[in-house]
Amino acid sequence: MTKQDFLRELENVLELDVNSINEDQILDDLDNWDSLSVMTFIAMVDEKTGVTLSASKLADAKTVTDLIALLGDKISG
Amino acid sequence: MNPINISGVRIKGIASAVPECIKTVEEDVKVFPDSDVSKISDTTGVQKRHIVTGNQCTSDLCFAAAERIIIESDVDRNSIDVLLFVSQTPDYVLPATSCSLHGRLALDKHCASFDVNLGCSGYIYGLWIASNLIACGSAKRILLLAGDTISRIAAPMDRSVALLFGDAGTATILERDDDALTMSFVLGTDGSGQKNLIVPAGGFRMSRSEETAILSEREGGNIRSDEHLYMNGPEVFTFTLKEVPGMINSLVTDYSEIDAVVMHQANKFMLDYLAKRLKIPKEKNIVTLENYGNTSSASIPLALTYALSQQLKNTSMNLLLAGFGVGYSWGAVTVTCGPMVMPELVIVPKDVAMQSSKEV
Repeated sequence: MTKQDFLRELENVLELDVNSINEDQILDDLDNWDSLSVMTFIAMVDEKTGVTLSASKLADAKTVTDLIALLGDKISG
Repeated sequence: MNPINISGVRIKGIASAVPECIKTVEEDVKVFPDSDVSKISDTTGVQKRHIVTGNQCTSDLCFAAAERIIIESDVDRNSIDVLLFVSQTPDYVLPATSCSLHGRLALDKHCASFDVNLGCSGYIYGLWIASNLIACGSAKRILLLAGDTISRIAAPMDRSVALLFGDAGTATILERDDDALTMSFVLGTDGSGQKNLIVPAGGFRMSRSEETAILSEREGGNIRSDEHLYMNGPEVFTFTLKEVPGMINSLVTDYSEIDAVVMHQANKFMLDYLAKRLKIPKEKNIVTLENYGNTSSASIPLALTYALSQQLKNTSMNLLLAGFGVGYSWGAVTVTCGPMVMPELVIVPKDVAMQSSKEV
């Protein structure tokens, strides 16, 4: 999926407005980035890319860029 | 994963019991005014759950279910050869709760009784052990009790568990039947998951102490002590996605042959996602969390009682049952059940504990 698709999917998971997130977004600053949305995020990534992210790797991610990096070449653009 | 096939064993009936007291989402909102309780309950699917009171134990719920199934299936209790109690919330560290229940149920002395300490996968393991004992000739009739009172180890101010778990106890009778269709099992374990679903203190690795009883704030503002249940939801979800689809695919890929799928009722989001991923038709995927929450080892038989009683009383159904979680431990079985004895749900009144069959 493209980077833009990823950002839109992430906004969907977090119930945020479209185009409200960019790559520099710090995850801790988001009210909704809790264990429930982490679970929904893992499901979204699994469904869209076939990658099963480990929760511990996710815990290390500090920004949206870090999230994108976890998916390597599954995210283009 | 190669399935293990067992023949000659039939499930005669299943009874489930829940405690009388109910906790609802409306009450949860008062306890957690600053949390989005409705978002949590939308994801978990839990609207209410039944909770024990006083010193009510899993054994009290299983006792009630056992009495009901023994009486309604008209089984001579002296003919029960094995009593198997599957639970992670026993009466005591020792003796085994199965021995106490044997006494309370007035079973015959020749009956072998023992406990199995498993949770989410517990019912599948219970069916596997019981059916093996019957198939190899060690027993003709087995009483399998499975249940938990997780509410008693979930910290009341820990949002990640307090709103999810309910209590229940179930009783299943299995017996020898040469005409019974084959049951096929797959089972597995991954101990590297131990720290993600754990009660850290109270065993022998970390004994209880003044320190272990201290309630402190943990991740996400959740408050608990080391004597309470810790569950890392995202990690457990990752494990589920990694192991469960493969496990189920090794038993079933074509759902036209299956009448219903009952997975351990962990949370609605996970069950719906697994059904989507495995292409299980929505109407065949049983979800009962709304009324009972996650009842650990009781969740599969309780779901059968709640959702499939009428069909199982009257017809034969091909079922896929799957349990996965704490351990990590997992198992699944395809089994043809019914017509069989399916009593109505038993409600155990508040504070009723330590009953024996002489009293009832």
